[in-house]
Amino acid sequence: MSSSTSVGDLVSQPYKYGFVTDIETDKIDKGLSEDVVRLISSKKGEPQFLLDFRLRAYQQWLRMEEPDWAALGHPAIDYQEMIYYAAPRQQEKKASLDEVDPKLLETFDKLGIPLSEQKRLSNVAVDAVFDSVSIATTYREKLAEHGVIFCSISEAVKDHPELIERYLGTVVPSNDNFFAALNSAVFSDGSFVFIPKGVECPMELSTYFRINSGDTGQFERTLIVAEEGASVSYLEGCTAPMFDTNQLHAAVVELVALDDASIKYSTVQNWYAGDENGVGGIYNFVTKRGHCRGDRSHISWTQVETGSAITWKYPSCVLQGAHSVGEFYSVALTNNRQQADTGTKMIHVGPHTRSTIVSKGISAGHSSNSYRGLVQIGPKARGARNYSQCDSMLIGDQAAANTYPYIRSQQPEASVEHEASTCRISADQLFYLQSRGIGFEEAVSMMVSGFCRDVFNQLPMEFAAEADKLLALKLEGSVG
Amino acid sequence: MVAAMSNSAAVAASTWVTTFLERLPAPAGELEAVQWRGREALSRQPLPSRRQEDWRFTDLAPLTALAPVLAPSSAQVGWPEPAADVFRLWLDAPDDLLNGQSLPAGLSILSSDEVQQALGHTLAACNCEQHWPVELNQASATRVLALRVSGAVVPTLELVSQAAEDGVMRPVRVLLLLEEKASLKVLQIQLGSGCSLSSLVMEAHLGRESTLRHGLLALGEGQACFLGHLAVEQEPRSQLESVWASHGWALSRFEPRVVQVDGEATTSLKALQLADGQQLVDTHSRVEFRGPEGQLDQLHKAIADDRGRSVFNGAVRVPRAAQRTNASQLSRNLLLSNQARIDTKPELEIVADDVRCAHGATVSRLQTDELFYLQSRGLSASVAAGLLKRGFCEEVLRALPAAAAAWRPLQRMLGED
Repeated sequence: MSSSTSVGDLVSQPYKYGFVTDIETDKIDKGLSEDVVRLISSKKGEPQFLLDFRLRAYQQWLRMEEPDWAALGHPAIDYQEMIYYAAPRQQEKKASLDEVDPKLLETFDKLGIPLSEQKRLSNVAVDAVFDSVSIATTYREKLAEHGVIFCSISEAVKDHPELIERYLGTVVPSNDNFFAALNSAVFSDGSFVFIPKGVECPMELSTYFRINSGDTGQFERTLIVAEEGASVSYLEGCTAPMFDTNQLHAAVVELVALDDASIKYSTVQNWYAGDENGVGGIYNFVTKRGHCRGDRSHISWTQVETGSAITWKYPSCVLQGAHSVGEFYSVALTNNRQQADTGTKMIHVGPHTRSTIVSKGISAGHSSNSYRGLVQIGPKARGARNYSQCDSMLIGDQAAANTYPYIRSQQPEASVEHEASTCRISADQLFYLQSRGIGFEEAVSMMVSGFCRDVFNQLPMEFAAEADKLLALKLEGSVG
Repeated sequence: MVAAMSNSAAVAASTWVTTFLERLPAPAGELEAVQWRGREALSRQPLPSRRQEDWRFTDLAPLTALAPVLAPSSAQVGWPEPAADVFRLWLDAPDDLLNGQSLPAGLSILSSDEVQQALGHTLAACNCEQHWPVELNQASATRVLALRVSGAVVPTLELVSQAAEDGVMRPVRVLLLLEEKASLKVLQIQLGSGCSLSSLVMEAHLGRESTLRHGLLALGEGQACFLGHLAVEQEPRSQLESVWASHGWALSRFEPRVVQVDGEATTSLKALQLADGQQLVDTHSRVEFRGPEGQLDQLHKAIADDRGRSVFNGAVRVPRAAQRTNASQLSRNLLLSNQARIDTKPELEIVADDVRCAHGATVSRLQTDELFYLQSRGLSASVAAGLLKRGFCEEVLRALPAAAAAWRPLQRMLGED
């Protein structure tokens, strides 16, 4: 195609978050042992139940084998060559943001996440996590007025241990899988959200994760609990500097929705993806699961995956309450040598549960993009319904798009539908748009955003436009 | 505890293979070398376990409950008279396969040199010559029906194998070489009852512009098990139309593998499988396009009733060389009972950008509005349900070669006989 150079160039836009902040950190020496687990726990001043939880997970992890079924072909990870705890050196969490190290505030400013009072995004409360530790949480007082708890998980352990003990590890048990066990043993920080009965969270909640140290693994843990009739919308963003080595990010996210509760969890993932030859980048091996425990509860996952050398995650919903609803909307874009193996699991347990899956994969360069999903209808899920749609767009003839939808049904009064298609940006579509005076790059990004529209419509307003822009940038120079 | 149990299961599985091998007569005849190879492979390779992705949903317990031995056959139970345009071969015939008949024009038996050269070639091309069910067949099959097809063969070639005696194993091996522009209709009938095991390995090489219409009707009863494997290589502009229907086996697993060696070929696969009682019926298909402009149209239908389990795994591979491939796959499943189970998993792997690939899957019971319509016309609920089931099955069954009608597939599949 004549336009090959331009479309090819369109995808290779430099990663603008690749800087490193020079800040003194407090690290535990690399390597993992029971002592390290104890040390992390004692540094954080945790109660006994949490230390026991960590040690149990560590023992389970020792007995587990790293999974290899996704055939990702990454070099073996040396778990003894990694640092499991790194915190920017500063005193206890500050009462006011003015006392936070200005370098940290500057870092987040540079990432487009202003934390200082005058520049804050209105109506979005942000919890900023730098390496392993939560730096600041904005709008806490305003949220507290409504009874909403939004803080780092370490603070929650201190201030609300009963809630943590009650809910932590109930959705993703510590022996769920290899990476979840590792996370349970060494998790450092993350966010905790608790929406009490009947409260509609007055603003968007957001956590921003930043990996800074070169040899640190990031193991954060997020727990969101929505009590009866509560609702919340939560957004997670992430970036990391550019290093030639691969870093491991093994997070666990647990969502619990009780009767009539609703949780909307959106992710815009933009970890460093490595260079065009696949050197460096983040291994994003994350376990995310929501549990619709109550009747008529609702959990919705929306994700825009653009970064990471390897993404391996399946945000899932266990639909236990009657009439509960699970949703999964995903856009995964891979370029260069990136690999994404992502999808969802919808486990229908209760009667009349419903789920919708919309997955859009875009693969460019030499990347590989797989949708792998499971829809399971249990014997008691009378009247359950699922609709899945997964579409792939291929850009260039070197990229791979794979689809592996599993369907298991044990309930005749349930209906499951799955459809999938593959397409590309065709020359005549481009020609048409260009003949109308639309520039080449704009035409490509128009078509990509049209392809992804079903998913972007699900994102909170502020982020939908951003996600659109992000895709256009990521694709710069790749169509041809 | 769990570890101990799976350990004892592993021991039982390896004992089953050892006992099976011990009962086989010493390798002899035209397939002696192949038998040696298969036996050695089986003794090295344990029974597939459900830890392997390929066997995840397939429980081999019904197979390991059998103690099959090779034994000569004399039974032809319940066979219809062949119609005038059908040339029937009894694949378990005690002595000569042809039994004095002469082959129809266009068909000829391959010489033993040719067999040596060609046997296993297509299996290797489809990358399945070391697959467990194939090795099981190679270890035991004592002869092969190896045919060359030149020009258009008029009569339908009907290949029948029946395992009616308790404790027998019937391995069937077929090799078809279709020359350029040749065409052939084949109907395979696999019948099994009692505690028997039927094993089928068929290879077909389709030369340029040749056409193969293949039908397989696999009807079992009781504890009988069926393991079938079909490997097809297609050269450009060849056409394959394969239709299979399976019902009644305690365990049935059919594995069609198709490779379009240089693309530009047309493949149509249609299947119907029924599971009731405690039956497990499984299809693992794989279609690979190694060149541009290939076509695939695949329809897989399944009904699971009672405590039956139906499994479908349909892989489609479209590598970079396969530009302008047009592939579609549809898996439609009816789940009719609370204790039945459906597992379906399409698998699409695409590396070429200028392709059209679509797949879909549905699992549901009979549509209530369709039932309502029929009832509003005065049919009882059960008649209406029967009619809809029939319609569901017929879409596939009517694509079988016409000669299949004599075997009354619809009545036998729906148990109306």
